[in-house]
Amino acid sequence: MLTKLPFSVALCAILCVVCVQAQTPQATPPPPAPPRSGTFPKPAEQTLPNGLRVIVVERTESPLMAAQLLIKNGGEVDPPELAGLADMTANLLTKGTQTRDATQIAQQIESLGGSLDSGARWDASFATVGVMSSKIPQAMEILSDVVRRPAFKSEEVERLRQQYLDNVTLALGDPGSIARFVAARVVFGDSPYGHPVSGTAESLTRITAADITKMHSRYYRPDNAILVIGGDINAKDGMALATKYFGDWQKPTTPLPTMSAPAVDAAPKTGRIVVIDKPDAGQAAVYLARTGINRKDTDYFRGIVTNSVLSGYSGRLNQEIRIKRGLSYGAGSFLDTRRDVGPFVASAQTKNESGAMVADLLLGEIGRLSSAPPADVELTPRKAVLIGGFSRNLETVNGLVGQVGSLALYGLSLDEINRYINNVQSVTTADIQKFAGTRLDAKTSNIIIVGNAKAFLPELKKKYPNVEVIPVAELDLNTALLRKKQPAE
Amino acid sequence: MVRTSIRLVLSLSLLLILQSIGFAQTRMPQLKFTERTLANGLRVLTAADRSSPTVAIQVWYHVGSKDDPPGRSGFAHLFEHIMFKSTKNMKSEMLDRLTEDVGGFNNAFTNDDVTVYYEVVPSNYLETLIWAEAERLSGLNVDDANFKSERDVVKEEYRQGVLAPPYGRFEYLLQQKSFLEHPYKRPTIGSIEDLDAASLKDVQEFHATYYRPDNATLVVVGDFEQAQLDGWVDKYFGPIAKPSRPLPRVEVKEPPRKSEIRLTEHGSNDLPAVGLTYLTPRQADADSDALRVADTILSAGESSRLYNSLVYNQQLAADINSSAETREDASLFLLTAVLSEGKKPEDAEKSLLAEVKKLQDAPVSAAELEKAKNQIITDQLRQRETSNGKALALGEAAVLLGDPSRVNTDLARLQAVTAADIQRVMKKYFADTNRLVLYYLPEATKKEGQ
Repeated sequence: MLTKLPFSVALCAILCVVCVQAQTPQATPPPPAPPRSGTFPKPAEQTLPNGLRVIVVERTESPLMAAQLLIKNGGEVDPPELAGLADMTANLLTKGTQTRDATQIAQQIESLGGSLDSGARWDASFATVGVMSSKIPQAMEILSDVVRRPAFKSEEVERLRQQYLDNVTLALGDPGSIARFVAARVVFGDSPYGHPVSGTAESLTRITAADITKMHSRYYRPDNAILVIGGDINAKDGMALATKYFGDWQKPTTPLPTMSAPAVDAAPKTGRIVVIDKPDAGQAAVYLARTGINRKDTDYFRGIVTNSVLSGYSGRLNQEIRIKRGLSYGAGSFLDTRRDVGPFVASAQTKNESGAMVADLLLGEIGRLSSAPPADVELTPRKAVLIGGFSRNLETVNGLVGQVGSLALYGLSLDEINRYINNVQSVTTADIQKFAGTRLDAKTSNIIIVGNAKAFLPELKKKYPNVEVIPVAELDLNTALLRKKQPAE
Repeated sequence: MVRTSIRLVLSLSLLLILQSIGFAQTRMPQLKFTERTLANGLRVLTAADRSSPTVAIQVWYHVGSKDDPPGRSGFAHLFEHIMFKSTKNMKSEMLDRLTEDVGGFNNAFTNDDVTVYYEVVPSNYLETLIWAEAERLSGLNVDDANFKSERDVVKEEYRQGVLAPPYGRFEYLLQQKSFLEHPYKRPTIGSIEDLDAASLKDVQEFHATYYRPDNATLVVVGDFEQAQLDGWVDKYFGPIAKPSRPLPRVEVKEPPRKSEIRLTEHGSNDLPAVGLTYLTPRQADADSDALRVADTILSAGESSRLYNSLVYNQQLAADINSSAETREDASLFLLTAVLSEGKKPEDAEKSLLAEVKKLQDAPVSAAELEKAKNQIITDQLRQRETSNGKALALGEAAVLLGDPSRVNTDLARLQAVTAADIQRVMKKYFADTNRLVLYYLPEATKKEGQ
């Protein structure tokens, strides 16, 4: 971990709960030695005349490189009836350009030993290549071609539509996937973050090649894009390649599209208890979901440290649910920060019979953040988990490019990488108590359980008489009501 | 923590790359390692890399689910979980305090042949972790409450891996049905009944039988001083005695298949799936390299043959895969397809078989062969970006291939694979009589159709 930080850090020496003096050579663990420090590569950046922001970050340990082209809009701009449009558009980039068909693109990039992926997240669309560093120019040429000159042929649209529909069918067979979809609808209602980013069976059938072309011409423009190049390449060479393959990408004369309206409903639904009854489910997926924070929130670091107290192997959720009670293979939580307020989700899968008990435990642990906030002896290791994971992520070329790209996307200083450790370290017990009490209040959370309802519903009803039960066959992900309209008889 | 199939490979010299594929600029670093064996039989492999202040520690035990005691399928894996509970001098979960709490991590995996424990920590904790690994090799001291709650965790792992995902049982059945005699017929995760039958007594017995220094390989990769590390290994592992009782080994041989096996099963899946398996030789066999290249040609990426035929051109399948799943005693080559809406399993089977036949009937082109090799090299480079990845490669070469230096020579073996080799192994192992065919159909079609 702790790889390559530009200053000496004592983050390894954080705490050792077991460092007592040894009496016999083997009875207690030997204490740690003083930590070593490392340094971290510094990104170089430049904005081309056409508005494209280019960032190069060198890391020479392995002969690998990755380049990611980010478009600053994703599923958030899908029109409500066309859920999945941004994701299908991004995915189709690699399925044919004006001079290459889908087979040739795959053939050429894979012949380099490389990979090329594209898709949409909530607030960005992306295309990423990864190759060994001796193949960089060829890979950059292909990346440029797919982003700038996609063909969107109707036969490719049809092919991809069928693949997306099959994936919807597959996802609806899995209790965990169903719970994720339902949680988004429950928290965000009919606002943009409420729909599945890859669409629903109904919305996917409505998307046309014309919709896709329009989406591309509107958002895929150099002044709405960021190019991050990372790995075994220096800043000068990286900038030269960016200029060669993206420098003549014309900026349209039309103004940039304005950002979408805030993602959260004016009055988000709270306290909904939703059960999706799937009688053949081999396990129940239990989700507690509510709104969290956006990425630029001044509480960001307080938020991620709070989440780390709950989540991770020795986090409170897994301690209570897995380690103490053996109720799950793993319990955890996720504070998903986006351009707008994203969700906070705590979840576990458990045998159907213990669905209600696990819901109680999830709720209890959120509440306990306020009533019993972590003292330093608990907090310090949870900060170390965050810092270690962050630093390890930066050890790989893909991780490095992803981190830098994410900071750039949200308009944050790239130097935040170097301040990350201090920012995490400065969070206090009082910060966590306040954050949990004001931003993660358990009382305004929603509960979603997907599983064989017969096994846990009686128990759940005792506590929540207002529970909504929806048979999986009647589930409709196109609406916050979650229920298909009954056909008129 | 179960059946992570490690397909790590390996590096080769600059010279070889230049000769075979002409990458003027790509350097593929050799993994320089040292090897020694303590008097008690513990093998120690170390590779220093001081580029970042972290270190990976792994202990490979040569025991896997093929060694599960009779009536205790899933036991080797359950035991892996118990190894995180208490020892004479460590409380339950103390290993998490020594790793996770200081910014590192730990985990473990069990497969058919090995159980591997690993940690990555800031390098100033190396001595602490050497002590901790020696401690859990010396003995466990687990109480019944801890044992039972961890057994419940493993049962949830079974539900989460086998019962909840739509194709979890399909994969389980493919392994279970592919072996008739060899204990590989017991999937690593086991069964709920056998897990319920396991007891604390089994735990102590299993530890005494298999967790001994002469059945273990310690691998350390990352930031350390060689002399200091050697001293710590001697100090903490050296005093552990080598037991005099013999180390049991599986002797059962899987008989060759004499005719095609056809099976149909039903599950909670909405789209049918088809799986084919062929028995192939043990991992150390010389043919494994050609089979691996064939696997890459069949299913790596969207330019692969199966993707092109079944997913892209015919639109028969939502998902395809192939896997040269190597094992120590006998291996499986799997081909699977999850069908697209409204497609017939018979057609998917026919198309999978057509791709097998094409590889038997004609040699692959030079360009396709080079593409596969480039894909494999890039994969290896990615796996070796981290100390933990390097340590996994070293451990696999030593324990499963019997020679740690194969960490540096195996990629040369792959480079040497020719189009004729691929055609030869496809003819040799993909006979109709060596095939198992599993149709995994939605439960609903059973009720309607039969």
